[in-house]
Amino acid sequence: MTSAALLSGLALAVALVVGGAVAALTAANAMKKIAALMLAFVGAALSLALLGAPGGAILAVVAIAFAHTAIGVSIAVRLQEAYGGVETGELDAADEEDEPREPET
Amino acid sequence: MIGWLAAHPWQGVIVAPFLGAAVAMAIPHARLSWAAALLALIGAAFIAADASLRSVAPHPADGASMFSAPLLAVLAALCAFAGGGALREMRASVAPFAMALALCIAGGWTFALLSADWIGLALGVETAWLASAALVALAEVKRGALNGALRMLASGGVAAALMLVGIGFVARATSSTEIAALLNADNAALCIAGLVVVLIALALKAGLAPLHVWAGAAFGSTGALASMFLGVVGLTGALALMVRVGAAAAAAPQLATGVEAMLAALGAASILIGSVQAMGAANVRRLAAYAFASQAGCVLLSVSLGSPAGFAAALVQMFALAAAMLALLGATAATRDASLQALDGLGRRHPVAGVAVTVGALSLMGAPLTIGFLGRWRLIEAAVGAGWWWVAGIALLASLAAVFYGGRLIERVYFRRAASVATLDKDPWRVLIAPTLAAAIFAIGLGVEPSVLLEASARAAAHMFGGAP
Repeated sequence: MTSAALLSGLALAVALVVGGAVAALTAANAMKKIAALMLAFVGAALSLALLGAPGGAILAVVAIAFAHTAIGVSIAVRLQEAYGGVETGELDAADEEDEPREPET
Repeated sequence: MIGWLAAHPWQGVIVAPFLGAAVAMAIPHARLSWAAALLALIGAAFIAADASLRSVAPHPADGASMFSAPLLAVLAALCAFAGGGALREMRASVAPFAMALALCIAGGWTFALLSADWIGLALGVETAWLASAALVALAEVKRGALNGALRMLASGGVAAALMLVGIGFVARATSSTEIAALLNADNAALCIAGLVVVLIALALKAGLAPLHVWAGAAFGSTGALASMFLGVVGLTGALALMVRVGAAAAAAPQLATGVEAMLAALGAASILIGSVQAMGAANVRRLAAYAFASQAGCVLLSVSLGSPAGFAAALVQMFALAAAMLALLGATAATRDASLQALDGLGRRHPVAGVAVTVGALSLMGAPLTIGFLGRWRLIEAAVGAGWWWVAGIALLASLAAVFYGGRLIERVYFRRAASVATLDKDPWRVLIAPTLAAAIFAIGLGVEPSVLLEASARAAAHMFGGAP
């Protein structure tokens, strides 16, 4: 692979990771966060492949991405049961209400 | 079996928690499952302590693992013992799964600490992190814990993706996935960039400010078992891993300057932000998490000095911090309530828990005759020796801030009357506060007679840097 092709491939991979990371941290919905994480992991796998990492490293990314998805979906289901929704704004507002205020002393 | 363990003790330390997790999950009875988990962790702690005392290093030139792995194994065993009292917070059918997840946290961080290559390190970190998120969700006492678990998953997932990219850079720069290959990095700039990304990802998992977006929600709403394993084993494991990677980079002359600058900046920021947040916290578990961020900043500053003395100081402080966290979080498990007002009058209602909170707070302040004082002293000594006066100043600032938030805890314990809502800590399993008391005794005992700890840290530094500290 030429260095120009490598650089452009790496730029795409890093863009996927950064885009996925920003979306995962800012998305207003739990399922969208999980989908954004998958995007970031695709970018990570792509960058490892372009940088010549061994096959074991790519397999590790796949395993980690799968585990994140499985646990993420489980948490989203429990959120739906406990809060009646998976919108992060609603979750934060409900937590604010649940939090007891410290009495004045 | 015994012969294999004697020859490969560190493999045994990794395998024991995972084996214990499988057994704990298969036992449908909560208390029996807890006993099986405890046995596995005591076994792992015994093997790790024995290997460390016999100076069996997991890898050449890796003193960080030789010091941190036994510490982590002992902490996990103490947390599991104290966690027996926390099982009543959850349904009996859930308890075996919670114990299995707790063991996976211990096993994951141990695996990452003892791994010789980057891929094993990443897999260990993610195993521990995902188990932590699942345990926070499973051991919820308020539904807010689920929100905390989601934040852990999202921010931890971002950190995982970044860490994998960083590992790719490092592997490319060193033409190897071995951590020891850092010493032979061909492309220093690419290697430093990769290491910085890996360290930022680990900092997020160690709850260092300002990257600890998950900590408030996770610690504020989850149960005692999850908060102890996450706060004592998880945060200490991630911090130990940062110390290991930072020291490995500091030992490579071509990488040292860049990585040390990054660690110093991150450490200073964590001290300042963590201290302010700890002073404003209204929940003991959140306060402990923010105090950890502040004190962990001092550990990173020690590593950033790049000297054997700085590295040894980092290990002493890490030990002190782990003991203080166990004392604080264990005591909140005894009160069944993590709000600050639950500490009111604790010194009269539950003297042992009151003493643990007091000693933990004093150690965080760096008060004389505590292990925290020794750690802070060694940091200032190493910083002045290296001519980094500003590091000494920031370390003193961290102690000053700790006087405010630690003093607030002590004032609550001994100088306030108990509120009617916080008098429900009668419990037949009170003996389970023993590990918390043990942490307090360690914090004082090793502060008065620190020769064992100093010798262990000096030996680890000599291993890491290949000479006398």
